[in-house]
Amino acid sequence: MNSSEAREHLEMAERIVAASTRELSLRYAAPFFIAWGLASGTVCLIFQLIERGLVPATATWASGGLLAAAVIFSIVYARRKARCGAGLTFLQREFLNVLWIAMGVAFVSNAGGWNIFPTFGLSAIYTIAASIVLFYIGLHENRRALLGGIVLLASLVVANFMPSVVGYVLAAGFYLGYAGFGVAELMARE
Amino acid sequence: MDELLLSKVRLGIVAALLASEWTSFGALAETTQTTGGNLGANLAKLVDAGYVEEEKLFVARRPQSRYRLSARGRKAFLEHVAQLQSLVKGAS
Repeated sequence: MNSSEAREHLEMAERIVAASTRELSLRYAAPFFIAWGLASGTVCLIFQLIERGLVPATATWASGGLLAAAVIFSIVYARRKARCGAGLTFLQREFLNVLWIAMGVAFVSNAGGWNIFPTFGLSAIYTIAASIVLFYIGLHENRRALLGGIVLLASLVVANFMPSVVGYVLAAGFYLGYAGFGVAELMARE
Repeated sequence: MDELLLSKVRLGIVAALLASEWTSFGALAETTQTTGGNLGANLAKLVDAGYVEEEKLFVARRPQSRYRLSARGRKAFLEHVAQLQSLVKGAS
């Protein structure tokens, strides 16, 4: 083998390795973002409507049902994907670890910190966790995720200055930033 | 240099497996831009040499194979790449 052939082989190998280690492709995970963005946004919406007296307080149960539906969907979808046997890149595995850590911390804060974070503060915790997840993806050359993270954080800041419609604003953040990212990811890869 | 990795297709396969846990045959074909027959033949050589591990499973009642790089394959790849780099450096 001469040096120009060696260079050609090296460039090809580097190109393949770089493609799988630099860019975080999340098309497989897009349905998770859509499901959880819609569920979280709708929960915020329900609580805002309850607070304004537009729906009865019993509608709280609907939010529980929505979150349960999102959990069931996630389990069923993850099992179906696992059965396909395609496997994950190490980067995708690391991303999933970040996702579970961020959402796990948000869940524990939510379940155990309701005296510290009253009313919509509990939803805002998930907004922060979701934006951390999107910014992590954004670090791996995914501008759609960066945009989603910015939208989520912006919804938090805007909600802070609009106390009468906090639920609406946080819901918009989840719909546009989180579910919107999932839709954009699906569209971008097709 | 590693005789087995002198083939561009086999080097590409190993590079594609380097950053993944398991990779399906279809995904490998897409990454390496190789036809099914060519990919299958080269994968078989890598499996025989112990560079790549193969697992056969059924997905929706259809047989499917998936692959991952063995420790031996990873070591061989890194050594081969180091030799390629020194060859390029030596020429420049």
